[in-house]
This record gives sequence, C-alpha cells and structure tokens, in this order.
Amino acid sequence: MAESAEARSDVPLESSIPAGAAPLESILCTEELHRRPSRAPDYEKENRALVTLVSALADSPGTILQTLAETILEITQCDSAGLSLLTRDGKTPDVCGKRFYWPAIAGMWNPHAGGGTPRNFGACGDVLDQNRTLLFTHFERRYPYLLPVIPAAEECLLVPFYVAGEAVGTIWAIMHNDRRKFDAEDDRVMASLGKFASSAYQALIHIEDLKIQVSEREAAEAEVRELARGLEAKIRRLVEANVVGIVMWNLDGAITEANDAFLRMVQFDRADLASGRLRWTDLTPAEWRDHDERAVAELMATGVFQPFEKEYLRKGGSRVSVLLGGALFEGSGNDGVAFVLDLSDQRRAARALRRSEAFLAEGQRLSQMGSFSWRVATDEVTWSEELYRIYELEVGLPVTLKVLRTRVHPDDVSLLEKMKMVERARGGGDFEWQYRLMMPDHSIKYMHAVAHATRDEEGQLEYMAAVQDVTARRRSEEALAKARSELAHVARVTSLGVMTASIAHEVNQPLSGIVTNASTCLRMLAADPPNLDGARETARRTIRDGHRASEVISRLRRLAAKKEADTEPVDLNEATREVIALSTSELQRRRVILRLELADDLPPASGDRVQLQQVILNLLLNAADAMSGVDDRPRLLVVRTEPDGGDGVSLSVQDSGVGFAPEDGERLFEAFYTTKDQGMGIGLSVSRSIIERHQGRLWATRSEGPGATFTFTIPLGQPATEA
Amino acid sequence: MNPEPSGRFPVAIVDDDESVRESLPDLLLEFGFAAQAFASAEEFLASDWVRRSRCLILDVAMPGMSGPDLQRELRRRRQEIPIVFITARGDETVRPRLLKEGAVECLFKPFSEAALLAALDTALRVA
Repeated sequence: MAESAEARSDVPLESSIPAGAAPLESILCTEELHRRPSRAPDYEKENRALVTLVSALADSPGTILQTLAETILEITQCDSAGLSLLTRDGKTPDVCGKRFYWPAIAGMWNPHAGGGTPRNFGACGDVLDQNRTLLFTHFERRYPYLLPVIPAAEECLLVPFYVAGEAVGTIWAIMHNDRRKFDAEDDRVMASLGKFASSAYQALIHIEDLKIQVSEREAAEAEVRELARGLEAKIRRLVEANVVGIVMWNLDGAITEANDAFLRMVQFDRADLASGRLRWTDLTPAEWRDHDERAVAELMATGVFQPFEKEYLRKGGSRVSVLLGGALFEGSGNDGVAFVLDLSDQRRAARALRRSEAFLAEGQRLSQMGSFSWRVATDEVTWSEELYRIYELEVGLPVTLKVLRTRVHPDDVSLLEKMKMVERARGGGDFEWQYRLMMPDHSIKYMHAVAHATRDEEGQLEYMAAVQDVTARRRSEEALAKARSELAHVARVTSLGVMTASIAHEVNQPLSGIVTNASTCLRMLAADPPNLDGARETARRTIRDGHRASEVISRLRRLAAKKEADTEPVDLNEATREVIALSTSELQRRRVILRLELADDLPPASGDRVQLQQVILNLLLNAADAMSGVDDRPRLLVVRTEPDGGDGVSLSVQDSGVGFAPEDGERLFEAFYTTKDQGMGIGLSVSRSIIERHQGRLWATRSEGPGATFTFTIPLGQPATEA
Repeated sequence: MNPEPSGRFPVAIVDDDESVRESLPDLLLEFGFAAQAFASAEEFLASDWVRRSRCLILDVAMPGMSGPDLQRELRRRRQEIPIVFITARGDETVRPRLLKEGAVECLFKPFSEAALLAALDTALRVA
C-alpha cells in the first residue's frame, strides 16, 4: 500500500489545484482516528447489516449501492454516507476514469446523489492516490466546487475499494457537525464495508453489463423488428402490387400462399389456393419437371435457386411462359418463397419480332429482293438470306470479292466493288447500280441495286443496299418490247399494204428496164453484124437496173423485217431519204408535193433505224391522207430534220391538210382512234410508243395556216443505260 | 400517116424513169422505129415531137403532169396521137379506165417485147 502510495505521489497533483486553495495537509486529519477514543465494536449489528447487504445483493442488486450507503449510515451513526465510483464508459475512453460520480447517497446528502467530483482534484482522488483510508475535515476549503454541496462536511471518512487490484471507487461517511468524531472503530467497519463494496460493485457491474447487453440486444431486436416491419411492409407492398407473382411453397409440392398476380398467371383462384388443390408439382408440364428437379437440388445445396425460364400449365390446360426464382426460408429447410414473372409479353414480342423478321424474309423472297450492308471501317459485309438465295450461295458463307467473282458477270462490276469505288471517289453517297450475275450454268440474272450510305452512331460509314433480281422484269420488258415490235410490224405491214402499189412501182421500174434492155441486147447480138458495143451497153444497163431492183427489194425487206429492237447510231437524214425512196410514187400518186429540208451535218441519233423509219413512213402517209381532200391549194408536205437545241435531233412532217381540232391533239395518239375510213388507227399510237422507247417525244401541233405538224425528238448518242 | 424521111415511124416516150428513157429508145430503134424519150409531159409538149410523133408511149404516174393529164392536154390541143400507156403500178383497175379514155393499150411494167410490139402495131394501124 505504501509503495503504491509513493508511486502515486509522483502524480503532480498541485499543478491542477487552483492558486490560493488550502493545501491537502490542512484538510487531512487521518491520524486523529487512532488518537481519538474508540467506541466498542457492535458485531451483532455489523453482522445483521452484512446479512441485509448480502440478501439485498441477491434479491435486488439494482439497489445494492443505496442499501450499502444506508448501511454505512446505520453502522457509523453518521449524517451522510455514500459511494463514489470512477466513471467507466467503454464507448468514450476519454471520459473513462476521469470523474467520480455518486451513485448512491444516504442521509443528509441524499439529494446530491447523481453528482460527483473530478478524479484528479478531489478527496476521492486523494484516497485513490494514497491508496488508503483518509479522514478529511472541511475539504471544501481545498475543493471549492464542494461549497454549494450543503450542509458542509465537518469530517469525511473515505475508504477506497478495489476490484482485481484496481481502485474503482470509495465509500464514505460524513459528519456535518461535532456531534461525534470518526474513530478507529469507524475505520475498521468502513474497511470491512469497503470489501463488501468491492463485491457489490463487481456484482453491479456484471449486472450493468448484463443490462447493457440485454438492452443492446433489446435495441437490436427492436431495430430488427422495426426493419422487419419495414421490410414486411415493403414485401407486402410488392406482393400486393401484383407486379410479379409471389408464391410461398414447400418442397412437398404445396403452394401455401400466392398473390393475385400469380393466381391470374395460372388462372386459378383463391378458393383453389385455400383448398390446397394448387400444387406447383401439378402446375409443371412433364417436360419441365427436370428443370424443377434441378432447382430443388440447388435449393437443398445453397438455399436459393437461380431464376430460370419454364412453363406452367394453366387451369384450363393452356401454357404460360414464366421466369421463376426463389429461396428457402432461413432455418426452415422445407418452406420457401419464389417470384414468378409472366414472360408472355416478352414471348409475344419475341414472336412478333421473329414474325416480322419472317415477314421481311418472306417479303424479300417474294420480291426477290435481298439486302446488303457493308461497314467500311471493318470491311464487314452482311447479306440477307434472300440475297444468298438469289446468288445461289450457301446462306452464311462469308462474302468476299473472290466469292462474288464466281457469280458476277465477268463483264460487270459487282455491287461491292462499285460501293468501294463510290466510297473512294466520293466518300459515300447514294447510287443505283445494275449488273448481271452469271450462274454456274451460264444463265444470266439481272440485278438492280439501290445503295444508301449512312453513318452509325460512331460516325462510321455504312452502305446499305436493296438488291433486286429484276431478271423476270427484264424478261417481261423484253417480251413487251417483242410484242410492241410485233405490233409495230403489224402496223408496218399494214402501211406497207397501203403502199403495195407504190412499192410495186418501185420494183417494176427497174424490172421494166431490165426486160427492155435484155431484149435490146439480144436483138443487137442477133444482128448481122452484131452490134457488140450496143449489146455491151444494154447489158451494163440490165445489170444496173438489176442492182436497182435489188436495192428496192432489200429496202423493202428491211422495212418489213420483223426483228428485235436494236440500238445503233442512226443518220436521220439517210433514214428519211430511204423511206421517201419507197414512198415517192405513192406520194406522187396522191399529188403530194414533197419538200425536204434536211439539216446538214445532222449528228447521228441513237435508236433502231427500222423503227424510226416506220415512224417517218407513218407520218408521211398520215400527212398524205390528211391532204387527200385538198384541191384548193398545193398538197405541200415538208419533211424537216434539225438539231433540237438540246441533246437530241428532231424530225417534223408538216402538211397542209385538214388539221385537227384542238381537243383532239392527244387523242390522235390513242390506239384505234382514227378519222380515216381506212386503216386501223394504230399508226400514231405505235409511232408514239416507238419514240418513247427511244426516250424521245412525239407530238402534234396545229399549223398557222391549214394543216398540222407532227414532230418527234430523240436523244443523241447512247442512251444512259448501265449494264 | 407517113413514116419519117428515114422511113422510120417516130415514137415519143414520156417517162420520168431514167432506165425506161435509156432502154426503150434502143429497143424501138432495133425494131426499126425512130424514138425520142422525154422525162416529163411538159418537156414533151415543149418539143416538136408533139407534132412529129406517130405514137406516144406514156407513163401514167409522173411528178407534175401525169400521163392522163397529158392525154387530156393533147386532146385539148387536138393533137390526137395514139397513146400506149405504161405503168409500174400493179393496179389493174387503171387499164379499163385508160382504154375507155381512148388509149390504144396499157402495158404493165415490166412488159414483154411481144406485148410492146403488139401495142405499137395497133397504134400504127390506128394512126
């Protein structure tokens, strides 16, 4: 004890004591205890008190400190008694041990219970520092904070007590007057009570710790309860919102609870649920049972099963696709909860998407239209199935230039190559492209592509193209052209029929020359002597007339020939002269005065010579017809060719005939419209269709004077068609 | 009517077709006629062959004045020359019409030597 006190004396107590306070020695009178006369010990009273204390400790440990204070008061016959305990607050270490507090006070200071004193500046601290019982007198002289604590302490006997060798507090007895002085007997009793105080303190601390634990647990439980209430509310909200199906079940197959969303999904009702008829094992179609078994195995192993898709059988037998996930309740081992999501909408959407994709594919198949995309940055080419079909390639085959070369016609540029060209030349841009495929059996397919350049969200250029197999269209166009040319042929033959006499004339003229010359020649040779020079001359003329006749025949054959349309450079002047050569005598017969105003250096037009001649012939005969009733003026017919001022040439046939009414300007070109007694009325209609096929135009204008002018224009050079 | 001083009957030919104008006079010469070809009716009317000709071989269809036009003109001038029409048009209906108008004959080109001689024979007998 003394050693300990010395060790403690190192603590510089003085530093914390305000200047002017009484020194510690002046308030201590501990030595007085043994000098004063000591009263006789009252062991019976002491034992009674201890028994009271022990039973109080057992019965009501919460009040043991107060009982202890009262016991001290009782035994020492003092005015106030109490305990001072060092604060212990594990949660705030800076507070721990810094103060003494008074948990229990009996006697006159009882109202001050709950108060306390500083650890390092007070009587209790002095007791712990010196580690022994001390007797103070009027300690408020040194510790002025005690001045308000009344009545003032005449004498205060303080005894430390310890737990596990550590001082934790003091018990004390106070006399507020001189009625009696503490003596050695008080010292002994207090020391004895101090030991008890230690036990009581330990019990109390234990109880307090327990209390703390209990209260902490209670608080935690309350928190959990609160949380659970919150969670429950949330879960209830989730269950009742019926956004997802919630179902509680056990591993035996029963469904013990389910929300409306789930019941709606499987088309059962609450009565089914209440009756226990609703079992998840029955809801599962046979082919999905193995999925359930896997989920159960997962539940056994981990307590949860990961969401998976399956089907449920509805009450009516139909099926519903669901996503299902759940868990066993903790500690249950048999019961659990699961959420169930109705996937019908997603399935429907997926089906709709598949269907629209199928529609697209079907549409592509029906229209023989494929789609094609090329991402420039990655050189990635994507084809639709239909495009593979058109190309007769295996679907999914990577599209490379090499593969394309096995299909694209050797003379043509493939779409991908064209895209690359356009990309290099213009950095993108839309275009149309026509090319041919040559299949392994050497059949030809005609392709028409419309390419559109877009940029994706990263600004990368992508080409998308719709590629159509226009072979059938091309074939029907060809068939149409053939039909049209047959119609033109009919018209031509018809107009040639009109000209039969004229043509016969053209042929008969040279034939006549041939016959006459041949006769003359024979006579000259038969003369005596033979006129060889004359014979030679007439033979020469015979040959010449023979050529002339054959020219007429071949011109006629060309004009009457039924052949496919051909595109070639056509000298419109020459074509006109040829037609006129065949029709001169017809025009003569009809007393038509023909004036040719053919432009010099007329550039060649592009087209089918025979078809154009057919048009010219039609226009000439039409003009002649229009003038057939004209007797009061010359039947003047002017054929004029000239550049049309643009990229074409024009030919006009002007007559001085009856003309036409303004409202008939367009009807003239309708098939089978005719003002004439003879003819089918297809001449102008056919002529117009021929000119339009030449990308030209044919129209009629009324002349200033009598008559009408029919004019056509057709373009120069090759028409812009890409193959 | 007498033949030319040469003893040959003068025959005029009016045809716009050159090969006729070249070949027919030679043949007629071989047969012993005097012959002269004209390219148009107008050309013939302007020549003295209008009076000299004992026979006219006349094309039907010609630019300007046609064969029948010339026939009417000669009738108007009272120059009644026997006319043998020739035509390259195969229109048979023209023949009876022309014969009715007083033509000696109407030959369709190409005509044979014999047909021509027969027609000329008729014409000379008429003349």
